[in-house]
Amino acid sequence: MAIASLFVVPSWDDVRHNIWSEEMRFSLKLSLITGITSTILVMLFALPIGYALSRFRFWGKGLVKTVIDMPIAFPELVLGLCLLLLFGSTILRDILASAGINFVFTKKGIVAAQFFTALPYAIRIMKSTFDYINPRLEFVSRSLGYSMFETFKNISLPLAKNGIVASMVISFARCIGTFGTVLILAGGSYMKTEILPITLYLNISYGNMGMALTSGIVLMIVSFLAIFVFEKAEVSL
Amino acid sequence: MSFLRIDNLHISLGDFYLKDVSFTLEKRDYLIIIGPTGAGKTILLESIVGFWKPQKGSIYLEKVDITNELPEKRNIGIVYQDYVLLPHFTVFDNIAYGLKKKKCCQKESKIREMACMLNIDHLLHRRPDTLSGGEQQRVALARALVVDPKLLLMDEPFSALDPQTGRETRQLLKRVISKSDITVIHISHDLNDAWALANKTAVLREGALLQFGKVDEIFNRPRSAFIANFVGATILHGTAEKNGNGLTSVNIDGVKLASIDSAINGSDVTVAIRPENIIVLKK
Repeated sequence: MAIASLFVVPSWDDVRHNIWSEEMRFSLKLSLITGITSTILVMLFALPIGYALSRFRFWGKGLVKTVIDMPIAFPELVLGLCLLLLFGSTILRDILASAGINFVFTKKGIVAAQFFTALPYAIRIMKSTFDYINPRLEFVSRSLGYSMFETFKNISLPLAKNGIVASMVISFARCIGTFGTVLILAGGSYMKTEILPITLYLNISYGNMGMALTSGIVLMIVSFLAIFVFEKAEVSL
Repeated sequence: MSFLRIDNLHISLGDFYLKDVSFTLEKRDYLIIIGPTGAGKTILLESIVGFWKPQKGSIYLEKVDITNELPEKRNIGIVYQDYVLLPHFTVFDNIAYGLKKKKCCQKESKIREMACMLNIDHLLHRRPDTLSGGEQQRVALARALVVDPKLLLMDEPFSALDPQTGRETRQLLKRVISKSDITVIHISHDLNDAWALANKTAVLREGALLQFGKVDEIFNRPRSAFIANFVGATILHGTAEKNGNGLTSVNIDGVKLASIDSAINGSDVTVAIRPENIIVLKK
């Protein structure tokens, strides 16, 4: 009922008008660009980390898994605060600044915030996916003359296809919907670091309900599509 | 110098481990490894093929120390009980997978020849999930054998098959192996495999190699009550006595059995009797 109310309450003329507004176009475009960039970055890290956690035995593995999973249990605002301190008040800020990179109150900050929010989910899905693939398939491939990398490319990656799709979809949905972490690290600046959840927040603050509801509807559609694709991929896992 | 030499192999993987395992094999030997579940049999095979690095000990293949060699450099084939066929490949591609890495010509004819030998030539276009257990196991065998490995390792290859298919596959394997000069290590729970296929047998228990030798040696001269019991002998307990003509007599609840083995007079001993050594005569 709560979800349905989002589609029942607003006037559809208002939604049509708002969806083509400059602010919404800016927000949607920025959300898609940052969401896709973050998802690609997340997958680049989640694939090898998920594989390593699934396949290798090493000292402190349990601790590493706990640390990676911690952001899932964190409130987003706390994660944002941690990232703000990391990128704004430590030696890392100076190192990144000397390379011309600044994450605080910038669009890059949106990507960083989305990356750290979505990464634990993506790693979890990738680890489960590789856990599900019989390691003996890789053993046999190695015994037939293929290196570890070739085996990963020929065997593990094709068999993990559905898990990769699921992980990408969930990561994208998390990135698009991230609010608290983005608000703290990148700020909620109108037409600057304004992604869809920030548009919703800013317009609710101004009392512009039509615009807020339109962002909510767009976010809902993106989430619905993401979960739909995830379910499809998971069924064939 | 032996073909394969395992020296004091020691490895620990949580609940599974090997403790100072040593043995040697000559070219064309066929070794059957028997032992209870959790004895470390699979770890031994996977260490030889290079999937686990031993904490101690060495493995020599054709006089070369391969202990730290990568699995892909060893040219050792492995066949598992659950076949482990690549599900996204056809039967043909499964068999061809290892050959793609080899610099040899006439790959296709080699694949067809091997498929013919194992009676799977009519299945080459099929996917593994459409095959029966016996067919899948023959594909796994073909995939391992087509690359001419120096050593073939098999982990209970017939245990997932029904008895009839298991017997047929065993006969097929025997025929294929006899045509090659391959050395084989085969884990089995079926003692018939030892008699039908092997010339050597090893018994593993709790990571330790209890006995290694010719098949009849293990069956007829087991070194411990555990091995005797494991290979199907009846175990009896009695007291050793000297009987005067150089033989040892064992008194089992008043029944005296003579043995050529020696034992201290009056000591408690265990006697192992194989079923084929008991002659039942009609009254």
